[in-house]
Amino acid sequence: MMPDFDQEGKGQTEPWRPDTSAPAVLLEGVSKSYGRIFALSNITLALNGGVTGVLGMNGAGKSTMFKLLMGKLKPSQGKIRLFGTDPWKNPAPYARVGFVPEHEKMYDWMTAHQFVSTFARLNGLTRAEAMVEADRVLKFVGLADVAHKKIGQYSKGMRQRAKIAHALVNDPELIILDEPLQGCDPLARTTIMNVIRELGRMGRTIIVSSHILQEIERITEQIIILHNGRLLALGNLHAIREKLDQIPHRITIEADDAKALAKDVIDLDDVSGISFPTKNNLSIQTHNLGAIHAKLPSVIVDNNHRIHSIDNPDDDLASILGYLTSGGTL
Amino acid sequence: MEAKPNTIYRALDRKAAAITEFTMRQYRTKTSTWVVLGVGLVAISLVMLIYIDVMATGFESVDNDGDSLDLDNDGYPTGQELKWGTDPYMANSHPGLLDPPIAPEPASNYIDEDGFDIVFDGTSNYQSTGFDDDGDCYNYDGTSSRKDTNDNDIECDVLLIQNRFNGEWSANPDINVDEDPDDAAYALEATHMAFVLGMGKMGFVLLLGLFCPLFLATGLIRDEMTAGTMHFMLAKPIARTEVFLYRILGYLGIVWPYFISIGLLFAVISGFMGPSEGFFRFADLGVWLAIVFATMIASLVYGMLFCALGVMWRYGIVLAIPFAAWELGMCLLSMGAPDASILRFSVIGWALMIVDSAAMLVWPNMDLFLLQGTSFNDDFGSIQTSALALDFFYSRPGVGSTGLVSSIIATVVLLIQGAVLWFIGGAIFKGKEIE
Repeated sequence: MMPDFDQEGKGQTEPWRPDTSAPAVLLEGVSKSYGRIFALSNITLALNGGVTGVLGMNGAGKSTMFKLLMGKLKPSQGKIRLFGTDPWKNPAPYARVGFVPEHEKMYDWMTAHQFVSTFARLNGLTRAEAMVEADRVLKFVGLADVAHKKIGQYSKGMRQRAKIAHALVNDPELIILDEPLQGCDPLARTTIMNVIRELGRMGRTIIVSSHILQEIERITEQIIILHNGRLLALGNLHAIREKLDQIPHRITIEADDAKALAKDVIDLDDVSGISFPTKNNLSIQTHNLGAIHAKLPSVIVDNNHRIHSIDNPDDDLASILGYLTSGGTL
Repeated sequence: MEAKPNTIYRALDRKAAAITEFTMRQYRTKTSTWVVLGVGLVAISLVMLIYIDVMATGFESVDNDGDSLDLDNDGYPTGQELKWGTDPYMANSHPGLLDPPIAPEPASNYIDEDGFDIVFDGTSNYQSTGFDDDGDCYNYDGTSSRKDTNDNDIECDVLLIQNRFNGEWSANPDINVDEDPDDAAYALEATHMAFVLGMGKMGFVLLLGLFCPLFLATGLIRDEMTAGTMHFMLAKPIARTEVFLYRILGYLGIVWPYFISIGLLFAVISGFMGPSEGFFRFADLGVWLAIVFATMIASLVYGMLFCALGVMWRYGIVLAIPFAAWELGMCLLSMGAPDASILRFSVIGWALMIVDSAAMLVWPNMDLFLLQGTSFNDDFGSIQTSALALDFFYSRPGVGSTGLVSSIIATVVLLIQGAVLWFIGGAIFKGKEIE
């Protein structure tokens, strides 16, 4: 008895054909549990086209959702479809998908060119075709100059770009990137974000995850927020921003003379309150974060204040999650 | 991108060749691979060195019947006196007193002067054979019953009797018949064959064929799952059963050339070192071919099994070790009881059958050769010792058929085992969630 190559059962004799009417990604009531712990709970969404950011703290269920999409995990409940096909049972849709896993471990003994061309052959390319395609995608992600260096000698950002090249080699319609910016230096982040934005402009469906709001903000406006395995929000980042402006924001400034700075700031129109968390720290409360940020530089320069750092502790994912979990809606 | 139409080369060049090549290169980069292969080579090379030493040193010829001695100091060795019918214990009775007088022969003429002349004619399970080369039975001046100690009414012969239950032959010679064979030649030949079979079975099929997959194949997929790198492979449109098979092919791409290289090396060394009328024992190449083939097929089946166990559980080697112990037991059992039914539930039982089948084909007179050695009455001599060693390592194929048929049956069974284990391993892998 021959093993079932397509993992679909005996009945499948026809080659796989995508359901053109189906969205690229469809999850219907999907849950994934480990014993009594739910890593993902009753997720329903459909994605087709555009760049979608998946936001969530560590452990929110982002990677679990991606592994379910890539057929690595079997859903405990619900239905998952990639281009209309169940990925757990049939790997055929991966011909149209590129996946960048979050795992840092790679094949350090290979060059990026070997890595990309070897796995390109699993997409049905011959050796010669794979070589050409590897050259193309490595150039696209900016690794052409170092394509023949071993991955073990790469920086974190270069490794991530090699993973992205591996995912792009089959010219996929759907690209899933799990924390592609994690651990990268600012320059690498910018390069990778540019690559993702460029892919978006090329009309691909892209799903990219991060636990840092600012990163996603620079890539896309369409976001999904996961929290404790639940789909907390699905929508436009601007809408979230507007909602957030209705609740007070804080700006924390570390200065040599925080009290002197407070005297100069208190008279600004949009400041609703100030406090001193520590001796050298000034905390400003406001409903209009943008206006304060516009005025602060001139106040600081005009009055010769010496500033060490400016931080917006509320302008991150935690504040959005706090807002959403306290009853706010988008 | 549109893939071009398939040709056989293009089809092979895609997924199968990609994963196979990748796996082979991955093995080559791992220190553990070289440690396992190196330890295996060193272990069996040590045995090879002992063999080379034995072959180079040889065995000492022994005057098994003591007739090279001149017991009565009359200048004639006992064997010569017995041949001419004079009394070896009386100095005034010797062949020099005969008419015409016989000159004394050197004592060395009576060492190894009566070799084995046993021939099976296959017509009966109770047959007379043997020949008294030195005449010390025929010319013995005594009663007829003294010349027919095996009591088959034929003087100075060897009586062969086949056991009606197990079919094994035993030999019962009359006294002074085939009693002083060439110890050195027999022991050298028996030791050589025992080495080839022992090295083939224990060194190749068991040590290399079992332990290489134990350490190299158990983590073939599991290590990738644990490290998270399996995501790269499984993010492509390829079924896990295929990945399982192609990874195994990559593993075989490393261990099979290794087995072939060592087998070739050992075949050449033993071919030149072993006793031979020519400069090389060409016939033995058939046995070495079977040894390497059996090792390759065994490593395929074990590879499938251990890889599947690795996929099944993170600590798959813990599951594999008891199985390896079982196979070791079955290997030892097959030496003594090759037709034991329990051997059918092992891999090594079938693999060793291929070696036994080849030995039966290449050395068709093995039963007779063993019978000569094991029946020979020299409890402390090199003949019986070497014959017993050979007897331990040689077994007739347990399925009770000819060598060719037995080897075909064993090969088919092993390939079926491999296919079933591929199916099981693939099914386990398919159902496995990968974190």
